Amino acid sequence: MTLSTKSFEIFCGTGGVGKTTLATARALSLARSGKRVLLITIDPAKRLKDLLKLSGDAIGEVTPVELSGTKLHALLMSPEKTIRRMAAKNNTPDLAENRIVQILSKPYGGMNEILSMVEVQMQFDSGNYDVVVLDTPPGAHFLDFLESLSKIRNFFDQNFVEIFTYLGQKTAKAGKKVFGLGFINRIVSGGVRKLLSYLQAVTGAQFIDDFIQAVQVIYQSKDAFLKGLSLQDRLKSREECNWFLVTSVEQGKAQEAIEIRSHASHFIHQDHFLVLNKCLEQELVGWNPTSEKLVKIKDTLESKEKDLKKQLKELFPVVLEFPEIISLSPTDHIQHLTEKWNSYVLQG
Amino acid sequence: MNQSPRRLYIFTGKGGVGKTTLSKAFVRYLVEHDHEAVYLTFQNSALGDNHVGNIEKTVNGIREISLDLEESARGYIERRLNSKMISTWIVKTPFFRALINMTPGFNYLIFLGKMLQMGVDNPRLIIVLDAPASGHALTMVESTTNFQQIFESGVIFEDTMKMLGRLNDPAYTKMHVVSLPSLMSWQEAVELKAGLRERTPVEVDITVNNCLYPLLENDLEQLPQGLREKALNEKQLVEEHRSEMQCILPHSLNKNSTEIESDLVGSLSNLI
Repeated sequence: MTLSTKSFEIFCGTGGVGKTTLATARALSLARSGKRVLLITIDPAKRLKDLLKLSGDAIGEVTPVELSGTKLHALLMSPEKTIRRMAAKNNTPDLAENRIVQILSKPYGGMNEILSMVEVQMQFDSGNYDVVVLDTPPGAHFLDFLESLSKIRNFFDQNFVEIFTYLGQKTAKAGKKVFGLGFINRIVSGGVRKLLSYLQAVTGAQFIDDFIQAVQVIYQSKDAFLKGLSLQDRLKSREECNWFLVTSVEQGKAQEAIEIRSHASHFIHQDHFLVLNKCLEQELVGWNPTSEKLVKIKDTLESKEKDLKKQLKELFPVVLEFPEIISLSPTDHIQHLTEKWNSYVLQG
Repeated sequence: MNQSPRRLYIFTGKGGVGKTTLSKAFVRYLVEHDHEAVYLTFQNSALGDNHVGNIEKTVNGIREISLDLEESARGYIERRLNSKMISTWIVKTPFFRALINMTPGFNYLIFLGKMLQMGVDNPRLIIVLDAPASGHALTMVESTTNFQQIFESGVIFEDTMKMLGRLNDPAYTKMHVVSLPSLMSWQEAVELKAGLRERTPVEVDITVNNCLYPLLENDLEQLPQGLREKALNEKQLVEEHRSEMQCILPHSLNKNSTEIESDLVGSLSNLI
């Protein structure tokens, strides 16, 4: 089995399976091998946040971390800070000032996914890192989002033109010019005005105006967004990206991992890894219970895990197994899982 | 059942903690107690060509509905503009698709609106929502407040206010965070509960699912060391926080999800 280092590593999974802990351990393992590593995480549990020192002022900022003597960098996504960085970098201050953009870039406003792509791109472009490890939000949501990237691309291509056509007519009447876009008048779009008048009946005129304004400021930052989206192509390349789909024995569901992969089939390349966390096999193998009840419990646990592994191995090119770490300390978890990652690298 | 149930139960938690099985089992529980209940999920995909409509089916006597975004949006616009034709046209326009796809959380606003409308249309119906996992549950709950601020006025503003009224009414809605009996999962559930409580005044309870220790605690000395520690850790966690746990459910030794569901039904009266 080969597990070579790439520029990007993406962890997806159903959540509650130890995804963030595994990603942290992976980042640490890479850092130990001498790589300059940035770990980007979206919504870690508090204890992991504490361990990575990602609270208070550090939220949304790249923070140096030292774990068991190894140094790496970590970043806990804050949509608001990313928007501000984008605005500063592209000299588009309106982006950070727009009311709708501000409301939607609150921590749970829903902009986490697209902005994490932009952030990964900006951080990698800085040249400070050999590897960026991205721990994604749980579930198929991240993948839904990636799938919709192409739609967003179309949005920048077509919908903006339609809106600007409408705006062009509207502002021409008002006698002022908002956009210096010469192509506007060349494109006819009679439907948009009618549509907006219907929508205004439902949403109120103010919202449509605000939305169009938000669209304008986002459009000013079009290049930064599209550049973030272009990351998709690099993530598709097996030379540049390792994909890890994480599930756990506890979950006992091959189904979700399969669903995620089928969702992702457009952009995940063929040699991805299924990571099966919290295996009890090592624990169970030397246990010889005598009472009937315990025999049944052992058999159930063992056969559930065996069936799951068999199923997964038929479905995924490579299955990486990680044992359940029975300890209350997150440091122990990361320590043990890092060693396991090291062993996979050595085998490669 | 002494207490009369609420109209809306929202199950959330990290993925893989058994939300789906538990919410279905809870619907079964309600149905067995002579209530009209439905299991509801959202098809969380972007607006586009691949929409399949709302899917409704009955599995082992349980009604399951999975809501489609485009159909839910169209239905709302139809009600508001009194025209099926115009609503069908609007949801197909690139501008409208872009509006919904580009505006984070708008999808949840539409789904929640449709769901609450179902509750208005049928005053006896109890809805059990198998909600998105953690962070997304917060996005979902926050979407109503965010859009209320965004819209400021208009029909949709009024409707959003009404939605908030029901969603945030402790007599109407109750939320359940599902956790596994591990320290990490528990702490995440506590954080999620706190996050939800910051955003809504309704009751939020934590249910701990899939506990191994009740099966093992009488035979601790016969277990291999790791498994013994696992059981002891679970037990310690449950004993320390029992007062914060609404419901503690044992690991089911059944394999198939329908049998696991039936195993659970008897233990769910606390969730009302």
